[in-house]
Parts: sequence; C-alpha cells; structure tokens
Amino acid sequence: MPGKRTLDYAAYAAFIGLILCAPLVLEEFWLNRIAKFLVYGLLGVAIALSWGYAGILNLGQGLFFGLGAYMMAMSLKLASPTSLQQGSATPVPDFMLWNAEPGAKTDLCCINHGSFLWTPFQNPWFGIAMGVLVPVLVATLIGWVMFRKRISGVFVSIIMLALVLLVRLVVIDAQPVTNGFNGLTDLGNLVVFGVELDPYEVVTYYVVAGALALALIATRMLVETRAGLILQAIRDDQNRARYLGFDVPLYQVFFFAVSAAIAGVAGMLYVVVAQFASPTFMDLSFSITMVVWAAVGGRASLLGACIGAIGINIIEARASETQALVQAWRAVIGLIFVLVVLYLPRGVAGFASDAADAVLSRLGRKRPPAAQSAEERVAS
Amino acid sequence: MSAVLTVDGLSVSFAGFKAVDGVSLIIEEGELRVLLGANGAGKTTLMDLISGKTKSTQGRVHLRDTDITNWEEPAIARAGIGRKFQIPSVFRELTVRRNLEVAGCGKPGVLANLRFGLPRAARRRLDEVLHLTGLSDEAQTVAGTLSHGQTQWLELGLLVMQDPKLLLLDEPTAGMTAAETLRTADIIKSLRGSHTVIVVEHDMAFVREIAQRITVMHLGQVLAEGDMASIESDPRVRAAYLGSKGIH
Repeated sequence: MPGKRTLDYAAYAAFIGLILCAPLVLEEFWLNRIAKFLVYGLLGVAIALSWGYAGILNLGQGLFFGLGAYMMAMSLKLASPTSLQQGSATPVPDFMLWNAEPGAKTDLCCINHGSFLWTPFQNPWFGIAMGVLVPVLVATLIGWVMFRKRISGVFVSIIMLALVLLVRLVVIDAQPVTNGFNGLTDLGNLVVFGVELDPYEVVTYYVVAGALALALIATRMLVETRAGLILQAIRDDQNRARYLGFDVPLYQVFFFAVSAAIAGVAGMLYVVVAQFASPTFMDLSFSITMVVWAAVGGRASLLGACIGAIGINIIEARASETQALVQAWRAVIGLIFVLVVLYLPRGVAGFASDAADAVLSRLGRKRPPAAQSAEERVAS
Repeated sequence: MSAVLTVDGLSVSFAGFKAVDGVSLIIEEGELRVLLGANGAGKTTLMDLISGKTKSTQGRVHLRDTDITNWEEPAIARAGIGRKFQIPSVFRELTVRRNLEVAGCGKPGVLANLRFGLPRAARRRLDEVLHLTGLSDEAQTVAGTLSHGQTQWLELGLLVMQDPKLLLLDEPTAGMTAAETLRTADIIKSLRGSHTVIVVEHDMAFVREIAQRITVMHLGQVLAEGDMASIESDPRVRAAYLGSKGIH
C-alpha cells in the first residue's frame, strides 16, 4: 500500500513533469503567459514557507519581489538598444537624460546625483546577484530587529505592510534613479552563457519552469530537515521552543530570508518574462493577492500554494476573456475565494490531503467481512 | 552527593512587592524536591527566576558550578534546565513523535540542524520516552487532539527527551483525574535517581505519593524544609499555611 508521503512526492513529480512538458502543447503566447503564472507560483512557495511553516504572515512580500525585479530591470535597462545609443562611453537609460543635472556629462557616472549607483549593473551577473542578495539582506535586517524583539503575529504583518508602502514611496520619489511612477520599461533581453532569453522563446519558459521546479524541491527538502521541523515547532509554540534551548529569532530570520530570496528570484524572472519593472509590484493589493493565492491553494503546503497561485491566474485569464463573463469575472474570482474560505479552510491542498487519507484508510482496511457488516447494520 | 542547583538569597520585587524574598535552596543530584505553598507563595515565580523567564533583582542561581543568574531562557535551557509549564504547552500541529523529535534535536543552531533525521542515540531514546509516557499508540496523533492528561505527559516526555540536568515541573497534575494523577506520579517516580526534579504541587495525595523532601514557601520565603512527617508536624507550617486543621 502506498504511504501518504509517497503520494505527496508523486504529486510533486507530476506537477514538475507537467510544467516541463507544457511547451509540447502550448503556443508561444500562452507559453509566455504560463511562464508569468509560474513566477506567481514561486511567490506562492515563498508565502507558504513563511506563513504556513514559520507562522509569519507577511503582508509585504511584494517588497522582496519588487527589489528583485528592480535589480534585474536595472541590468536589462542598460542592455536595451536605446540605452546603448546615447552616444556616451557607458549605456545611459533614456529617462536619465530627461532627469539630467544641468550641464552634466552624458555618462552613467555623473549624469545625475544617483546615476553612479547604476554603474555596476552593466554586468548582468551583478544584477542577478543583487536580485537575490538585496532581498535577503533587507529581510535579515528587518527580521533581526523584529524577531529579536519577539514581535509576532499581526504586528509583523502590519510592519511589513507599512514597509512595502514606504519603499514604494521612496522608489516613486527617486525619479532620477528609478524613473519613478513609470517604472523601468523598454528593457533588453537577458543574455546568460551566450543564450538570449527572449520572453516568447521556449528557452525562457524552461528557465522559469526549471527555477520553479528547483525552488519547490529545495524548499521541500529544507523543511524536511531538523531545522524545518524546529521551525514548525516554533510556529506552534515559541515559548516551548525557547525553553527547549532553541534560539527562536535565528530560525525565524533564517527562513524569513529564504522566503525573501525566493520572492527576489520571482521578481527577477518576472522582469525577464514581462519586460518591465514598476512600483505597482510594491502595491499593497499585490502583496495581499499573493496571500490569497496561498490561502486558496493551501498555505500549509508548498506545492498547494504554488498550484493555487497558478490556478487562480489561469482561471482569471480565462474568465476575463470569456464573452459572457467580461463584466462578471471579478465576481467569479471573488466567489471562489469565499467558497474556499468557507468550505476549505486549509485550501485545495488540505482538501486533497483529506481525500488521500480517506482513500488510504479505505485501502488499508483489512477486517473480516462479518465485523464490517455488523458495523454497517449499526450504521443503518 | 553534590548539589545540582544552588539558589542563594534569590529575590525579585514587582513594583515594591517582593514576590520572592531571599530564597535559598540546595538541590542534590538525583533528588525529587516538592515545592509546597498557598497561592501567591511565590512557587511559580521561583521557577520563573530559575528558568530565566523573570529576571531576579537580588541573589544568585548556580547550576552545578555555572552561575546562570538572569541568563536568557534558551541559554539556561542549554545549560541543563528543563521546564514544564502549568498550562501544558506542546507543539499542537505536530504529531506526538515529531514533538519528541524536536526536543531530541540536541544542537540549538539553524545550520547545525540542516540535516535529515535524528542522531542515532536520540532515535533510540524516543521509543523509550513514548513507552515511559504511555503514548506509544499515539505516536502518529497530532498533539492538538490529545486529551488533557496525554498533553501533560507529552510535555513531560519533551523534557525527558531534552535530557536536562534539572527538571522544573509546575503543577504536572493540574486538571487531571485521579487515575491520571497516579500515572503521572509513576512517570515522575521513574525519573527519580536518573534525573533531578523540582515539582510544584497542590495535590496532597500526589505529594504524599512522590515526595522525599518538601520545601514549604510562604509569602515569598522558605518557611520549612524536611520530609513529609516533619512538615506535617511543624507548628509554623500549621500556623501559616495549613491552618489549625492540618493537612487534609
């Protein structure tokens, strides 16, 4: 008889198989779309790790997504043909010309006060490294302050919520460096190891799908370690864990940072696929939407939250393009949320897990027919 | 015999009120000490001071030769003190077995625990602890669904798994039926000798069952210390705590 764990791993294998085989049946337009949704799936994994496993409901996950996105977009902006054709030694983004200091030389070093920050981003690898490092550093710093002070629950949510709005404001305000409200558009394609990642090419899809598969497997392995177990123990009862000798903040900070890293990678891949970065990534609504995806998919399950994110986005895309639902598709999505919260409090993954339990226990039942029929008689 | 825990003139005051006032105790290796006293006598506060939950304003606490006065809770736990709370606290969403695995992880750091499975010695002990606490059949049960008594036993099991030098048990039989209380007494008695234990308890039947040495506290101070018989006949204890009717 197959165990619960075997089924669980089979679900991971099936999902990863599915996303890797998708290019065989989908045409380019949908492939690019699904790639975007897979990026959202990454965000689902990040949320499930911090909310489901660590018990930290982060209402500002968009901060890490946004930081990752901007780091990547800065490199890609410098790689765009427009930036390369400004007639200077270094590529200069078009918006910096409009925001140039009077009389400044058209060069990345000094066209305006903040432009020198862009200089190292001429190397795409620097952008890629920063896309992970910056979210991790920010998460470690905030996490350290919050968790050392034993701040938890709704207060963490509020702090993160305020923080993402604050950073969004700063990004919009720093017009000369970030192009403010307009975000970074007109980006070049990322070229790694001589391969150009055109958003509408299959190779780009595979990079995204591969990253998601890797993140799913690695995160799952991480929570299966003793550290992952202790993290769940801390979620259930911080105090008990403390009196067993564990440094609770260390665990919280570590996994908070891992979650931020995944969100940062998601942000980078989103820029590669969608070819823009915008302050809207740090809108409150986006951060909350991510949490809703995870809640629908099942926050206690990495795969569940991931599928939740992808599934909702596919339904959303389909519904909004169906003639009959053009007016009503938002209501359809809202109805799905309400139904899930009312009837599937542990999300789709919780439902699947219960169903698997029921099937397994039916398979495992080995009782003499007499006893069974006696029970049935009682039941009827 | 050597002292495992030495408490020397320990005091704490909350806004002028001395909850614990100059308490001195010496707990010997392998001893099972019962702390007795009316509500507000300072028993739980004394445990809070020893385990680091509350910081003392005066006095020292030594675990063997280490001065652990006012350390952080995890540091005190790692030094070798395990604490069971009055309201049982276990990891409610994890199974009984996983609860015990957490307590058996041994190393405190994140990076040291980035590996699969328990150390071999801990795995062997886990089955013993399941047996000791009578939870062998519940190993795969989620802790949140255990009965009150079983939850108390699981928390005791966590402490045994943690394997500290000294166990502080705060009312381990609170809210238990008579049968459950007896079983708890059995578990605690089986720890005697191999572990050093301090128990806070109100239930006199239970105290009679397990006690070797008793320390009676009153208004934050140690009133008397001795075996059951000498405590029962001590006039100061009768006057201050038990009233004229004696222990019932």
